[in-house]
Amino acid sequence: MVFLTPTEWEILALSVKVSLLSVVITLPVAVGIAALLARVDFFGKSVVDALVHLPLVLPPVVIGYFLLLLLGRQGPIGALLDQYLGIVVAFRWTGAAIACGIMGFPLMVRAIRLSIESIDAGLEAAARTLGASRLRVFFTIMLPLALPGVITGVLLSFARGLGEFGATITFVSNIPGETRTLPLAIYSQTQIPNGDAEAMRLSIIAIVLSVLALLTSEMLVRRAQRRSQGRDA
Amino acid sequence: MCPGGKLWSALYRFAAAATVLTLLSLHTVVYAQNVSVFAAVSLNEALDEALVLFERPANIRVVPSYAASSALARQIQSGAPADVFISADTEWMDYLAERKLIDVATRSNLMTNRMVLIAPAASSVQTEIRPGFGLSQMLGDGRLSVADPDSVPAGKYAKAALMTLGVWNSVERRLVRGENVRAALNFVARGEAPLGIVYRTDAYAEKKVRIVATFAPDTHPPIVYPAAMVVGSRVPAARQLLDFLRSQRARAIFEKHGFIAVR
Repeated sequence: MVFLTPTEWEILALSVKVSLLSVVITLPVAVGIAALLARVDFFGKSVVDALVHLPLVLPPVVIGYFLLLLLGRQGPIGALLDQYLGIVVAFRWTGAAIACGIMGFPLMVRAIRLSIESIDAGLEAAARTLGASRLRVFFTIMLPLALPGVITGVLLSFARGLGEFGATITFVSNIPGETRTLPLAIYSQTQIPNGDAEAMRLSIIAIVLSVLALLTSEMLVRRAQRRSQGRDA
Repeated sequence: MCPGGKLWSALYRFAAAATVLTLLSLHTVVYAQNVSVFAAVSLNEALDEALVLFERPANIRVVPSYAASSALARQIQSGAPADVFISADTEWMDYLAERKLIDVATRSNLMTNRMVLIAPAASSVQTEIRPGFGLSQMLGDGRLSVADPDSVPAGKYAKAALMTLGVWNSVERRLVRGENVRAALNFVARGEAPLGIVYRTDAYAEKKVRIVATFAPDTHPPIVYPAAMVVGSRVPAARQLLDFLRSQRARAIFEKHGFIAVR
């Protein structure tokens, strides 16, 4: 990795930073929604389910376009954020993180939900009859047992964020050092004369990063499973 | 009965439906030939309007593909099936010429354009463009929207002009880089960027922006739109189209949209 140029380091660091923030902001919401969908029946559940999955099937540019309309400086939400909290996300790396978070959200919810559904609901019921509050059951039983799913969800969403292109370029443009993440940098290199070699280098970085994310996910999931099995025994 | 009977009947029905739909879609207008044109996105409205005049009489269907000249040149280099290429600068045409991908005998400049500083229509900013003018102060905490200055012609012209005027360094870190000039235009039209630099023709095409000032032509390399046939496009129609684009009628349309036709 010492062969990377300063610009490549900057791109790599920015990509990781954007993806990390996207995961941090979406994780609590994703866990909540996943638990809701897995354990509670309520009116309009299928609508919520469909909404959660929307980013998976919509063209990313549609997400980016709506984000620009809503969260841009002139957008209804963006203008309020700017006016009252002084937060501007348009053309900022934080905006890129929001775009990545939304694109990775369905992946995160799916993985966590599957994991929660596979927990024996009897365990939670038993804890409840022994007097544990709903909150306590959630933190001491559901969450630890769903950990493999949470890890998978986090890493899938993180990897999705690293690869996010359409929503990002539409919402926050392609600003070096601010919003030019790996895929955007690769795209930019394919647009300039003789940029092929650099595009290839950046592509290899992207491959290495993705493989690392997947391997880490495998390893962490296996460790979490071993731990929860050890506890059962 | 054969076991796959149901599947086959479903397939037949699908094929029949597909055939009917295809025939219906062909029913509109059948042209004798097709020509594919890869054109700089700044030409979008003007070329669309000109092509309407060309297609019926010539009995040739023209399929235009608009993007940044840089993107199009790279696609042609990768073997995209274009018959005619119209670039927004000479560099990308030269790039293909050096690689023997365009027929240089058919190359000629169609028109020229101007660079302008734009703001959202509601904005009241005013300035005069002269060396060292206060561009970065005018931006406030906003960004300057331009096409990518590393590759896209409109961005390269903008960068050249700002360098000539000595203000490039003050705004270099404060750019929004659109993937083509229309992306740069739209960021200003939506009010996301307080200022932008695009072609004058782009500003004419978008009601939601206002021209603040025009850059003097000597601040940047001459803006020209060279057109040429792509090597391997054995379509005689491509030649016919190029002739049309140089005709008086096509020129009149280009000038209507704000281009300056080359005589």
